[in-house]
Amino acid sequence: METKRNEISYGEPVGVVTAQSIGERSTQMVLRTFHSAGIVSQVVTAGLPRLIEILDARKKPKHPTMTITFDKKIASNYEDVKEMKKRIEEVRVSSLLESFEENLKAGTMVLNLDKEALALRSITVRRVMDMISQRFPDVELSNEGNSVSVRSKKKKEIRAVRTAFVNIRAEMISGVEGIEKVVVNSEGGLFYISTNGSNLKGVLEVNEINPENVYTNDMFEILNVFGVEAARAAIVNEMMQVFAIEDTKINVKHAMLIADAMTQKGVIKSIGRHGLAGDKESVFARAAYEETIKHFVNAAFFSETDRLKGVAENIIIGRQITVGTGRVKLMIKNADLEKVKPED
Amino acid sequence: MAKENNLCTVFFDGKHIADVKDGKAFAEEIRKSRRKGLISGEVNVAYIKRLNEVHVNADKGRVRKPYIIVEGGKSKFDAELREKLKKKEIDFNYLVRRGIIEYLDVEEEENILAAMKEEEITGQSTHLEVHPAIMFGLTANSSIFPEFNSVGKHPLAWQLMKQAQGLPAMNFQSRFNARSYLLHYPQRPLIDSATYRAANLAMHANGQNFIVAVSTYLGYNMSDAVVINKAAVDRGLGRSTFFKTYSDEERRYPGGQQDKFVIPNPSVDGYEGEQAYSKLGEDGIVEEEMEVNDGDIIIGKASPPRFLEEQTAFGAGIDRSRDNSTKLKSGESGTVDNVMITETSGATKIVKVVIRSNMIPELGDKVGSRHAQKGVIGAVIPQEDMPFTKDGIVPDLLLSPMGLPNRMTFGHILEMLGAKASVVKGVIQDGTPFSKRGTELINYYGDVLEAAGFDRNGNDVLYDGKTGKRFAASVFMGPVYYYRLYQMTKLKLQVRSRGPVQILTRQPTEGKPRSGGIRLEEMARDALVGHGASLVLKDRMLEQSDKDTVWICRICGDMGYFDHIKNMPICPTCGPGSKLESVEISYAFKVLLDELKSMHMLARIKLKND
Repeated sequence: METKRNEISYGEPVGVVTAQSIGERSTQMVLRTFHSAGIVSQVVTAGLPRLIEILDARKKPKHPTMTITFDKKIASNYEDVKEMKKRIEEVRVSSLLESFEENLKAGTMVLNLDKEALALRSITVRRVMDMISQRFPDVELSNEGNSVSVRSKKKKEIRAVRTAFVNIRAEMISGVEGIEKVVVNSEGGLFYISTNGSNLKGVLEVNEINPENVYTNDMFEILNVFGVEAARAAIVNEMMQVFAIEDTKINVKHAMLIADAMTQKGVIKSIGRHGLAGDKESVFARAAYEETIKHFVNAAFFSETDRLKGVAENIIIGRQITVGTGRVKLMIKNADLEKVKPED
Repeated sequence: MAKENNLCTVFFDGKHIADVKDGKAFAEEIRKSRRKGLISGEVNVAYIKRLNEVHVNADKGRVRKPYIIVEGGKSKFDAELREKLKKKEIDFNYLVRRGIIEYLDVEEEENILAAMKEEEITGQSTHLEVHPAIMFGLTANSSIFPEFNSVGKHPLAWQLMKQAQGLPAMNFQSRFNARSYLLHYPQRPLIDSATYRAANLAMHANGQNFIVAVSTYLGYNMSDAVVINKAAVDRGLGRSTFFKTYSDEERRYPGGQQDKFVIPNPSVDGYEGEQAYSKLGEDGIVEEEMEVNDGDIIIGKASPPRFLEEQTAFGAGIDRSRDNSTKLKSGESGTVDNVMITETSGATKIVKVVIRSNMIPELGDKVGSRHAQKGVIGAVIPQEDMPFTKDGIVPDLLLSPMGLPNRMTFGHILEMLGAKASVVKGVIQDGTPFSKRGTELINYYGDVLEAAGFDRNGNDVLYDGKTGKRFAASVFMGPVYYYRLYQMTKLKLQVRSRGPVQILTRQPTEGKPRSGGIRLEEMARDALVGHGASLVLKDRMLEQSDKDTVWICRICGDMGYFDHIKNMPICPTCGPGSKLESVEISYAFKVLLDELKSMHMLARIKLKND
């Protein structure tokens, strides 16, 4: 019964219903960025801006975030999760610095490392020096307490020295690239990690992280790592999330329809001029939307055929539209019926 | 910028004229002289400590406000003067002349410490406000009890005041405004403010005191609608006149030709028959006090032909002037009020005709109170069916209670109570902003009402007009000063079944002056698509709009035409022998195809076999 009731009638214009359902909800949404409460705050785009971000298929979300949960053994232990945090969080030389002095003419730089920052991330001065000397063979290093002196071995022009020093300061010591900030949260006694910045591939390569427990809001990363089916699921998930934050909801079927439409070409296509609307089959439907002249000229140039299957083009020429009551056609004409003699 | 010499700079009307050692004392000196009358009272001086500058201003265009001077912690406007003023022995100007009250501009206001009330004067006070309400201008001050209304409602209330019909000008009978509105029986409000009285605004009042009951009536006053009493309307409640001026001029054209105001003779182009010009006088202009309806010709005019006549075989072309008369616009009717014939500076004749029409409050007309409580008339109910009190008082207007709580216009409720007290006592009550406390007012009004045998809360026991049964709850009732706003059904009503179409697309015209239809917009269209109502959509988009039949060639797919001489369709491309089919399309689509064709793009239409 339930299945029967949920069945959609033949010819039902589901796309329009989806558009109206989402459109009605979005008028209620406020144009704002949502800040979750807490001492270590995490910025998440929410509401209408996020919805637009998803539907426009932006290559990078404004605030990429990952959520990583762990198996119970690790998750119940705060120290273990903190250890995972250390593995993931991107640490660069610059984030360990208390101050630095550079003398470009002499080709020297003194890095004063912050003791507390080092301790917090369990990084030793030795390790920093090792990393630098490994990547930059043409500098000489010496240390004195928490200070590391860098000296360029060769005499270079100032510009080159400067570039080298900037690169040294930007050198990554540990963690996964792109994971800017990691926060440990807890829910129901289990600890998990949320991040600012997303790097799905990088995080999956970290030991003891189960791919099933990693989530990112960047659907293009999901597309590249897990494929298009996962990306579709991610779009559905993210859209439902937008409405959930606003304390409202839409039927998941609407989100699924949009996700299907966006991913049907095997990649994520945006809704709009450069995506779905621009890929419509009908010349008239495309011309009615945006860039009218371009579409007509191209259609004439390549001798396109409009098969008049859609809604917009049929409204334009004044035919009955092909959805709803206009979807059904008689297979046998009345005139033909008369030719057939009924069997006695 | 640090000053080198540590002197205070003195500016007079913005010009640097001097430097003084002690700016503050200097400013004080000027102030003293002004109060003594040694220099003009229009001079204002301000010492600006931050810049160490003295600004002396005596130029025009400064907004200034009167203050009572306070000296030594005591107001100079003492009991003796107050008494004299009450007896009208002295006036306001006397106080200004005697240095009791002075006018300050915005710059000098920065130097003072003004007490709002006499009790609030401290040792540091230099001035006393004349009255708190003086901070408002004329418009804001003519509203009553603003301190009891939500702040955001005030601008909306003033907006309503602007839209109210009243007495537009004392000489309205000899004016020729494009549109003007005249309220027939304006009344002065039962509660007004000191400014309202001072400016004598009651002389051109723009509203009437409606007896309002806060009650529902079968849903006819839900969502800000109001129900009004038909008998009250018949007695003249809210009745007004709408004046509209039509004008035309005798134009001159190059070549010495010119328009002429006449009753066009039957030979002119576009002559509409004798009947059509029957309301015009001998001069071709409609007679005064003539009843006119839409489409009636009110100014007869013959214009020279639009294009120069070709020379015919008979020599110069005969006079083919055309009818260019002014008609009353669609949906309008009334009586000719006034006709004026005059001429411009260029000596061309101008005619102005004022049409007057009676605007009786009807369904859809807009009314509003002084507290941004506006609504449209949802029903005009016969007096017999309206609720009534035991004394036989029938309200003029029923206001839904749902419009009051969330809008927080308590002033409206207070006005009902106060105006009721006005009626009972026979004295117009005062609603000047910031003059009394709410509890004080409510108690006072309550006492007045109680003394007259009314409920002190303003509630009345009402009986249902239809059944005669007593309402279970008593109803809050009282007079409210209502405006009749100029948005009226009669001027806006618009319907169309058939009518003119646009030339280019052959779609129905848009807008009331072109007797157009109401557009089925994009979102309404989407709703029809969403319902799958394909035939309704086709009806709106094609049948009732720009349906057209074209002939499509089966061979080339281009449009042909029907040759009525040969009585067969022809394809100009494929010539005889081609097979054409008649196809129904939207004319706008045909235009699209034509325009594409004009840009060397041919859209061929392939027809299916059926």
